[in-house]
Amino acid sequence: MNNFLKIQNLSVKVENKKIINDLNLDIKKGEVHAIMGPNGSGKSTLSNVLAGKSGYTIIEGSVDFCGEDLISLEPNERANKGIFLAFQYPVEIPGVTNINFIKTALDSNRKFRGLDPIKPGDFLKLVKEKSEILGIPEDRLKRQLNVGFSGGEKKRNEALQLMVLNPLLAILDETDSGLDVDAFKIVADTINSTRSNDNSLLVITHYQRLLERIKPDIVHIFIDGSIVESGGPELAAEIENNGFERFANA
Amino acid sequence: MLNNLVLENFDQSFLKSPSLIDERKKAFSNLKKIGMPNKKVENWKYTDLDNLTKSIEFKPGIINLELSNQESKGINVREFDYFIKNKAQYLNPIKILENEGVVYLNISYSNEAKVIEIKEIQSQPLIINIISEGPGFSLPRLKIDVFPEIEAEIHLIYLGGEGFINQLTEVNLQKNSKIKLFRVNKSSAVHSETFLTYLDSNTNISLVNLSMPENNSRFQVYNSFQGRNSFSNFKSVSIPKDNCHDDFLVHNLHKSSNCESNVGIRSILNKGAVCSFQALVDVELNTSSSKAEQDCKAILLHENATMNAKPEMKIFNDDVVCKHGTTIGTLDKEQIFYLQSRGLDKISAEKILLQGIIKNYISDESPLNSFLPKVYQ
Repeated sequence: MNNFLKIQNLSVKVENKKIINDLNLDIKKGEVHAIMGPNGSGKSTLSNVLAGKSGYTIIEGSVDFCGEDLISLEPNERANKGIFLAFQYPVEIPGVTNINFIKTALDSNRKFRGLDPIKPGDFLKLVKEKSEILGIPEDRLKRQLNVGFSGGEKKRNEALQLMVLNPLLAILDETDSGLDVDAFKIVADTINSTRSNDNSLLVITHYQRLLERIKPDIVHIFIDGSIVESGGPELAAEIENNGFERFANA
Repeated sequence: MLNNLVLENFDQSFLKSPSLIDERKKAFSNLKKIGMPNKKVENWKYTDLDNLTKSIEFKPGIINLELSNQESKGINVREFDYFIKNKAQYLNPIKILENEGVVYLNISYSNEAKVIEIKEIQSQPLIINIISEGPGFSLPRLKIDVFPEIEAEIHLIYLGGEGFINQLTEVNLQKNSKIKLFRVNKSSAVHSETFLTYLDSNTNISLVNLSMPENNSRFQVYNSFQGRNSFSNFKSVSIPKDNCHDDFLVHNLHKSSNCESNVGIRSILNKGAVCSFQALVDVELNTSSSKAEQDCKAILLHENATMNAKPEMKIFNDDVVCKHGTTIGTLDKEQIFYLQSRGLDKISAEKILLQGIIKNYISDESPLNSFLPKVYQ
């Protein structure tokens, strides 16, 4: 059994509006799935529900992660079990140093796995190595978490956390938005380099350009809270050329 | 309360300073006319000091002003006799605040004073512990005079106590001088401090205030920019004990050009706790290039916590840059979720957010850090 994530007949509402509608999705270990859909189709709702954000009501269905019911877990429990959400809009946390926060997060993960906190020297070496790959200058690590960061800097910082925390399933919620051409290549290639047979990626995006660098195994078209069609990378190319009209009218 | 005031109860004060008896009687007469502050007075709209002090017996309290390194080179310390010889100095606060009951009360009965003259640059901070022992009214007077070109750091620490403390503090910055002040208020007495600063040209004053009163507290600051090119920066972290009120008033009086004043507060309020923050920027007509900022942020951790914020700006000319902002609310759910999504449990996430709010003003390296409750360090 190598199912990482199994979503069955999931329906979700916010207040009285149904956003996710009878969704089914299987992601196996080592796979990269992409979800593409127009604005307002429910893509970010799906990522928030998987990460455990409050404010959503599960009407029916189930979500299993590594054979365990995900819905009953708190957001931090999900994170410690290996789910990572790279936010579309990372929030600013004044007064909290970026590097201190990343260490606190890593130590929380390690504690959950029964490990001691990482030694400061080992941590600094790890963060420095990953930061250099992502082109993050050292002084940004000492700044307050996301405070005053540009959109691109925030996305790089999300990628840095992803690399340090090394999750089993990373959900990338429009990680390509807000990045300039050079930053886009660095972030996409870096995330791509984290792929292995032991982890999976769920990439949410509007554009094919990200999927040219993080090549998905399966592309899903997401309309009105449901997957209306799944296929190979050629599906992303079709969206790039023709938009979502064919699927929206299906 | 005033009906119960009997001068004879404070005979001890007069015996110590018989030459000031006329000034004291006059101040007392004015106090009777004005009355003790209550909510009918606009600047005291959140604190009824008259009512708070009613049950405290009107007799002299015992207060000590202890100085850590008063023998240091370049520091002169005088006692109350300084004011006996300098009556004008004794009455000086009335020139700034001519309708303030707590000032008249202090001048009527003050019996303990330190006058600190800093004449040389100090390598070590001067630490002043203000300790009240026993019930009654304690009326300490503190005057800090920083000489031209001098830089100094002073820590003011208020711990414990009972009864009522009504302190009058003056800081006089002579030309080109600079002072850093760190203040800790963990008083368990009803506490009122009137803090007057006089800023000559090219001076710089910063105050970081950690206020964790265990009773009702009032800290009122009047910064008077008397010379050009001066700067003041007053930051307070307010964490009053449950059911206690921490009341701040900061007036920045821009009487000269090219001066800048910044005032900010970060408050964390739990069950029944109240914080009030009144800030006024007053820019006079014949000034130019003034800058001022007021910033208030409060986190309400309980449904019965209250924050009162009253920012005010009186601007009488066009050459001014002023801004103010106020945020009052609970902890941000988006921030909590972000932290939880990285593996931190909810309690740890909330703790980190509260620490973050405080760390903006009190860093790990600040001398105030060790006074913070462990949970916020």
